[in-house]
Amino acid sequence: MVGIPLASNKDNHTAIDEIATADRNNITQNSDVIEYLMNIKGELNQVDRLVSDAVNNLVINFKYISKLTKSHHDMVLAIEKMAAPEGSKNILTLLDKQMTIADKIEQELEMAVTSLQFGDLVTQLLAHTARQVEILNIELQRANHASDLRSAGDYDAIQAGISRAVNMAKAKNKKKPVVQQGMQMGEIELF
Amino acid sequence: MTKTILAVDDSASIRQMVAFTLKGAGYEVIQAVDGQDALDKANVHNVNLVLTDINMPRMDGLKLLETLRNLTHYKTIPILMLTTESDNEIKAKGRAAGATGWLVKPFDPTRLLEVIAKVIG
Repeated sequence: MVGIPLASNKDNHTAIDEIATADRNNITQNSDVIEYLMNIKGELNQVDRLVSDAVNNLVINFKYISKLTKSHHDMVLAIEKMAAPEGSKNILTLLDKQMTIADKIEQELEMAVTSLQFGDLVTQLLAHTARQVEILNIELQRANHASDLRSAGDYDAIQAGISRAVNMAKAKNKKKPVVQQGMQMGEIELF
Repeated sequence: MTKTILAVDDSASIRQMVAFTLKGAGYEVIQAVDGQDALDKANVHNVNLVLTDINMPRMDGLKLLETLRNLTHYKTIPILMLTTESDNEIKAKGRAAGATGWLVKPFDPTRLLEVIAKVIG
């Protein structure tokens, strides 16, 4: 807290009133920061829900396409068996083409397996970021309770309080669980 | 005889992608949502390989690995870690706890099947 200067009673009251007002302003500002950080956390949760929803839908679509592809594949094989050996050359050529398409779709689906894992990576990163925001919020509240941020006009004290809160948040932060920058296959190591 | 794989991950999409890949190659797949669930299932099924994530609620993958290695049946069963973590420190912990191998997500289905075929024998 800022020291109250010795002065007349009137001056003294004015100084106390000014400090009280500044104190209230600081508390309000700090509440704004806390609310702002809580909003960020809420938005991160919203992103997580949207991503999870999209991933769930994509996985359902993926499995359905995969099932249809397998049926298609089996059907082409069955028709091929029925057509041969007396089937016309044209029909057999068409069936061969159908089989090539079915194989290609299956290959593409296999490749999609790697990409469809993005949901897990995103969810983990969002949880990590949300945790960082939450820890910072708690540390800022702690700094506020310790009056670190209440020293009206004392910017050094305010800055020191914020820096201390950020450093505490950094110290409490866990290692980033996801370092991947893209959806390329990860490394494999056998012990 | 069909080999059984216990796939452990708290992410439903990862479990489904793993199951899709392994079932397509003829393996039987048991899914577990975390380490505790995996431990419960490992005690009642005859599992030939465990494929587990690390970061999970209730019981994480490293704790599961340590616990399984203390069970007679799981002393020699291959246990592969499939995780986003690639930090050397955590990898060393997994190795010390008895992990057979380390696969960083995202996995490629063909490479995953190659590794499993190699360790499952």
